[in-house]
Amino acid sequence: MIGNALQLAIPLILAGLGGLLTERAGVLNIGLEGMILVGAFGGIVGANATGSLLVGFLVGAGFGLTLGAIFSLACIELRANIFIAGLATNLLAVGAVPYLSELVYGTKGVVRLNDARQLPELLGIDVTLYVALLAAVIVWALIYHTPFGLRLRAAGDNPPALEARGVSPARYRRAAMLLSGLLAGTAGAEIAIQLGVYLPNVSAGRGWIALVAVFLGYRHPVGVVIAAVVFALFEVLAGSAQGFLDIPGTVLLGFPYLVTVIAMVVYSALRRRHV
Amino acid sequence: MHRNARSDARGSALQGRVWAGVVAIGIALAVTIVLLIVGSATPGTALRAFFITPITNRYYVGNMLNSMSSLLIAGLGIVVAFRAGLYNLGGEGQIYVSALVGTVAGLGAAGAPGPLGALIVIVAAIATGAVLAGISGALRHYFRSPELITSFLLSAALIPVADYLITGPFNDPERNLLATRTLPESFWLPRLLGPSELNLALIVALVLAVVVYLLLFRTVFGYELRLFGLNNEFARYSGINAGAHTVGALALSGGLHGLTGGLMVLGTYHAAISGFTGGLGWNAIAVALIARLHPLAAIASALVFSYLEAGAKASVLHTEFTFELGTIIQAIIFFFVTATIVIGRRGRER
Repeated sequence: MIGNALQLAIPLILAGLGGLLTERAGVLNIGLEGMILVGAFGGIVGANATGSLLVGFLVGAGFGLTLGAIFSLACIELRANIFIAGLATNLLAVGAVPYLSELVYGTKGVVRLNDARQLPELLGIDVTLYVALLAAVIVWALIYHTPFGLRLRAAGDNPPALEARGVSPARYRRAAMLLSGLLAGTAGAEIAIQLGVYLPNVSAGRGWIALVAVFLGYRHPVGVVIAAVVFALFEVLAGSAQGFLDIPGTVLLGFPYLVTVIAMVVYSALRRRHV
Repeated sequence: MHRNARSDARGSALQGRVWAGVVAIGIALAVTIVLLIVGSATPGTALRAFFITPITNRYYVGNMLNSMSSLLIAGLGIVVAFRAGLYNLGGEGQIYVSALVGTVAGLGAAGAPGPLGALIVIVAAIATGAVLAGISGALRHYFRSPELITSFLLSAALIPVADYLITGPFNDPERNLLATRTLPESFWLPRLLGPSELNLALIVALVLAVVVYLLLFRTVFGYELRLFGLNNEFARYSGINAGAHTVGALALSGGLHGLTGGLMVLGTYHAAISGFTGGLGWNAIAVALIARLHPLAAIASALVFSYLEAGAKASVLHTEFTFELGTIIQAIIFFFVTATIVIGRRGRER
């Protein structure tokens, strides 16, 4: 069961780290969901075009990055409202993927991996878990131990101070949005490649879960990893509960959102007590 | 929570951009034309379908005005919330779940005389929407949970439940459709224009636009609500009750979404159908933003949006493949509608 949970935690960790970077730079990134979705599609496109899963991951990351770039273009260059631009990011993914899919594959629905293969494993779990954990270490080092990270945090916590030193917070926000797209795109590629198929709505709310994992993880990479594993554990529990509680499968689709909203409220309530 | 994102987010940032809505629609049209040309073997027919079909006959015009009424009422719901600086992103679920609850209440009161039955459906739908959005308001007020996250998540959690109830326990076994049983004919709203689905809801929507305008700009509640939206802290210092405005504005917003769902059932579908409100919640946000959160301007923007939507539906029938043109239009409008296009002033980056 722990193995299953760790498996399911991989995309949440990756996307959560993306959400963490934007969050620390002062941007609430509700576009993660869309970035995961294009990443999932990109993962299959890349893997099918070249026969290499690694290329799949790179293309997925690239798709996510592209959407992150569009998001940052809207937010920073066009100064659009961050939340509305985030919604636009999600809608663009939902609208653009079927269009691209029709152009490339002639179907807007399910796209399979040509030759379904297992990802290489290490200690019984996909090697991508270790990549995700490595990403967490890198993000941690980046945020807390580089001048870039210091400025990125300042862009979130105290932008006037940054501006007073002649540094534009917008640059760091833009960088955070791009990295966020890269990580969420990778998360999407992981989901699709692991499943061996791209499905419409394959992101299934994971972008929102990852976003809440950022808060539950107290905006720290280690916390994000733990929160992601906890969410994944709930997902596994829900899956097994379906068996003996006789919950209809359709209703279960809403379960991750319910757990996430409860987690969000509990977090806010606890945090409020501390303050 | 986010000093910057938050201060950007307050209502003020969403109001002042006069041309952004027009520019957004213009860009959306340009992209649509390109996509149709690329995606269609007969681009001329597809483009004709997009621009002309929605206004060719009574049937199309009536249906367009009918979807305009839903867009307008839900859009007014967004206007109220955003004016108060609150992001209600749960419109999708609020409309859908309210429509279902209204239908079930109506079916339960099937013996009632027509007007009473219709009233029961409407009240149940409004109450459901108000409670759903009100919960996010209460969570925001008491726990500081961001309403934009909780409203979206609650709605996303409930949509599958409603799907299940419509296709399972409340499904009509007589009809080969993923829908509940049909409401008694005496409850139905009168139709206004020939074979089309246009009904009394249009009048309700237009009246409501005026009512919401008066509420926002001619009452103390509306003044306080707007003040609250412009500057949370200042409003609090001025003695405005933050709880009443957070919960009240969101409940009102949800109530309008609920009404949208109830009227769609009474006027158009006469039952709750699986997924029948899909996308309306997001479109309503686009409508409100194009109108720069002005209730009367929302009439025009709902009309324009319903035209785009009808055109998108008609034109993809003439493309080589089907795709979600409506969603793409939505996304483009969202990207540009709040944008501030500053030519030659890039130095002012924040």
